[in-house]
Amino acid sequence: MPFEITIPRLGWSMEEGTFVRWLKKAGDFIQAGEAVFELEGEKAAQDIEAVDSGILRIPANAPQPGTIVAVGAVIGFLVAEGEATPTVGSSNPSSAAVNQASLPKPIALEPKVVEPVSAPAAAPSVRRLAREMGIKLASLEGSGPAGRITADDVRTPISKRPLTTTASAAPAHAAGVASPRARRVAGELGIDWRRLQGTGRDGRVRERDVRQAASGPDSGTPATVVSVSSRRRTISNRMMASRDRTAPVTLTTRVDATNLVSLRNQFKQAGSGGTIPSYTDIVVKLTTLALQQHPMLAVRDEADKWVIPEMPDGLHIGLAVDTDDGLVVPVVHGAGALGLFDLAKRTLGLIEKSRTGRLTVAEMQGAVFTITNLGAFGIDGFTPIINVPETAVLGLGRIRREPVVIDDQIVARDQMTLSLTFDHRIVDGAPAARFLQTVSQAIENPSAWLLRGEG
Amino acid sequence: MTSVSAASTYLGIYRTMQLIRQTEEELARCHQRGLIHGACHTYVGEEAIASSVCAHLRKEDVVFSTHRGHGHALAKGLPPSELIAELFGRQTGCSRGRGGSMHLFSPEVGMMGTSGIVGPCVLQACGGGYSFKMKKIDNVAVAFFGDGAVNNGAFHEGLNMASIWKLPVLFICENNQFATEVPFAYAAGNPSVGSRGVAYGLPGLTVDGNDAIELSRVASEAVERARSGGGPTLIECMTYRTRAHAEGMGDFGYRTREDVDGWKQRCPIQRLRTNCVAEKLISAADFDAVDAEIKKLVDEARRLAEAGPFPDPATATQHAYSESPRSSTTPIQNVRPAATVREITMTQATHEALSEEMAKNPLIFVMGEGIGKRGGNFMTTAGLYNIYGPTRLCDTPICERGFVGLACGAGMTGTRPVIDFMFADFVLDSVGEIVNQIAKMQYMSSGRLKMPVLLRGCIGIGHSAATHHSGNYYAMYAQIPGLKVVVPSSAYDAKGLFKHALNSDDPVLFLEHREILSIKGPVPEGEYEIEFGRANVVRSGRDVTVVALARMVHLTLSVCDELEKSGISVEVIDPRTVLPLDIETILQSVKKTGRLLVVDEGFAPCGFAVDVAAQVADRGFNDLDAPIKRINGAFTPTPYSPPLEKAVVPQSDDILKAIRDLMNE
Repeated sequence: MPFEITIPRLGWSMEEGTFVRWLKKAGDFIQAGEAVFELEGEKAAQDIEAVDSGILRIPANAPQPGTIVAVGAVIGFLVAEGEATPTVGSSNPSSAAVNQASLPKPIALEPKVVEPVSAPAAAPSVRRLAREMGIKLASLEGSGPAGRITADDVRTPISKRPLTTTASAAPAHAAGVASPRARRVAGELGIDWRRLQGTGRDGRVRERDVRQAASGPDSGTPATVVSVSSRRRTISNRMMASRDRTAPVTLTTRVDATNLVSLRNQFKQAGSGGTIPSYTDIVVKLTTLALQQHPMLAVRDEADKWVIPEMPDGLHIGLAVDTDDGLVVPVVHGAGALGLFDLAKRTLGLIEKSRTGRLTVAEMQGAVFTITNLGAFGIDGFTPIINVPETAVLGLGRIRREPVVIDDQIVARDQMTLSLTFDHRIVDGAPAARFLQTVSQAIENPSAWLLRGEG
Repeated sequence: MTSVSAASTYLGIYRTMQLIRQTEEELARCHQRGLIHGACHTYVGEEAIASSVCAHLRKEDVVFSTHRGHGHALAKGLPPSELIAELFGRQTGCSRGRGGSMHLFSPEVGMMGTSGIVGPCVLQACGGGYSFKMKKIDNVAVAFFGDGAVNNGAFHEGLNMASIWKLPVLFICENNQFATEVPFAYAAGNPSVGSRGVAYGLPGLTVDGNDAIELSRVASEAVERARSGGGPTLIECMTYRTRAHAEGMGDFGYRTREDVDGWKQRCPIQRLRTNCVAEKLISAADFDAVDAEIKKLVDEARRLAEAGPFPDPATATQHAYSESPRSSTTPIQNVRPAATVREITMTQATHEALSEEMAKNPLIFVMGEGIGKRGGNFMTTAGLYNIYGPTRLCDTPICERGFVGLACGAGMTGTRPVIDFMFADFVLDSVGEIVNQIAKMQYMSSGRLKMPVLLRGCIGIGHSAATHHSGNYYAMYAQIPGLKVVVPSSAYDAKGLFKHALNSDDPVLFLEHREILSIKGPVPEGEYEIEFGRANVVRSGRDVTVVALARMVHLTLSVCDELEKSGISVEVIDPRTVLPLDIETILQSVKKTGRLLVVDEGFAPCGFAVDVAAQVADRGFNDLDAPIKRINGAFTPTPYSPPLEKAVVPQSDDILKAIRDLMNE
């Protein structure tokens, strides 16, 4: 008897998906467990595995790549040798009943390289716009016919979308067009041209509009023009790149740092002239342990693929360092594999080099995660900016002794705020929150985590 | 001829014929085995012709051949291993893998190339003859061609030119009775090629092309006549190819197996052998020894060829242009010195350039209609005839294809022709010679031949010249690799570029806009050259870049002051050469201004403005603050009536409006 190949439900609310392509050819013999076709659900495309074995038969009226299909629709058959191919019912396949039995097993995350979702349907001009804006089409939902992505879908900054996209969330309409030169200058000056009123034909934003905006309101008030250093320019470009290419969400939490403070005091007391690990050093180390449990937070979004680093050797951690010339992010290479004291020595060296401007290019590249500490300035929570192409950045707030209720008693404890910004394109809210939970637990019991070693 | 020297000559001819036969048969086998990547036209059955003619040639004599040219190349001295390697596509081939069967070059032994086009060899041989005449040396040029070539204009024009200038040329027609598969009996109104010599006032005869002894006698006389200044000879050799037109093609749709078998019986190699043995001139043993020696030679050649490496793909575009270092000592002066007082017209400027270079270089000659005593329709050569005489200032019949093809052959053989074709429209008859031969010659010969040919003439619309005296053809030529295309706008540029062309080894189209020939401009007294591919910033500006050529430069300049008054500052760039194009200077300007207008009198589709716009859109995209605009001449033949004519040429008002529009984008 022929086995039907049906559209499974990916995630609990999915009603329909986009049939991306067949992964096998008609006539191929398929073993149960082999990927047969690619289906794009609400959040991602997945290779769908056959649940039965047999020879693949694809009916003439099977969906074409890029078409929307209903969950449960029969799109093909697996038949035995010599067995006739049934026809798909004359009724529209997309109206076929949902077949609960055909739901696939949850797909485990195991490959080192996560292929990003293949791009959904969009006109060439829209693809170009997305490229220019550094937006991956796969991260968008189409509002056009047949789910086609429109220019508006691209222009509406993804960061301004609700966290969970719902059909009712109408895209906010954005500004029109800018000349290539205006866009380039806007990038250089750190100006969002989309907010500008263009003076060119049909409202096109031109270079002059950008420069005028950059020079501020046309009032006659005297002002000082600040010269922009190349370091500043780089920072500016990287911040804009982050804003353009990521969908940042920040989570904050309060964590009890009493044990962390005490551990550091012990290091101090036991210290015999060597480097004493700073709070940041300890958190760096703890974070590498937490990342081993939550590898998706260590993904690097490299051109067309998402790459998970080797654990723990590839856990290179960026450290935001404030210098007279502005922010730099030296990288502690192999932080995941370093012992705490070696790590502390390494960071001290990097900070020293940062402040004296002697960092090499290699020492600023390759991080998979960044940690930034504003605690020294009395800051608690903030919204750190993701250092692209990384997925997340952890902000450390000040440690402050505060009254806390424990077992109905008000006791003095050291408290600290953690701020985690993550890229919602790559990780969802819940897993990011779980990661932050893990980090919190590690900070609350640092000795145990450090002694235990790998996450 | 003594019997000893005759025997030695005949044995030599026999050896060559055997070399050709055995090499061709080996090539046929290799073709079947897939070692030959393209076409392969064999010479089997016709060996006596190349062998007997070339037996009387010196290494310095030159041979120009056709698609069926393996035999000519071998007879002229090309080692068989280089021929086979070329067909195998190897770096060790005689054209370094750039030619194949139909583009065999070995200028080192006087083999000036086979050609995939029927006819040009006739003209190129005239060019070779013209070079020898210029250099006053007694070398001879030979054109081998089939019966298919004799109903082609090149044959008519070439024989006529060779006749009127008494060129040392042999025209060897190998009448194998089929142009591919079209019978000559069908294709020719007068089926006797030899008799056509009379029509051009030169000796013409018909001989048995399979009779090596008779051929040798006739060729010897013709070569002697050519060397001694007696002029050209046309020899029709009646023959037959006993293999198909090309390897792998069927053979019996247009002729019968019986015909072919009959001609196989008339094999020229066997015939010579039988005659010589019967006459006791040469022993059978001597012939056998030659056969064995050739077999060894061909086996070894094939082995060598197959062992040769393929060319490096990274060199695929190498030799499209000359790579020889600049030899001229004239200073390069791409920018006009500010303090230039003397003013002359563009015509005077190029005349000065030509005069200076002709005085320095005795290999330069000028050809064209009315450029001799008359001094050129546009006074391009005024007074030079009296100094240099009729060979260096050569008036031509009205046969553009003929003298352009001749110029190609002259360039191949070491002289430096300047072809003055008055109006660029006239030279369209010779576009095949320019595109297929002149442009490709350096590449086909892997850089071993140079092509220092300067082709000059007028372009441009104006003064009701109507459509056969007004075309702008620079974009068309700029699509052809191997050419360089110069379109000057000022006297200063014209002189420097003209002199540079006369010192370059590449073919140059020098296109002069007739409407600006008499505009005067400052030109310094001293000599200078302007390099190709260096644009001139004619006027500096801030707001918009205008790229223009020739007359359009003047038109653009005429509106700049008015625009300046309304606060629009225009930068005008004249590329001066369309090929190579100095896109870098244009990009730099657009980087500054953010706006680009291209003003091009030529047609829009696939044209000059298109290319500039596309390159800037590509490489300068982020510098553009407005779309790129283009103004082109109307896409129509040029009309005669003044109001119609005005309507098809860009006007200064059009430029003014386009710039204002661009500022409002």
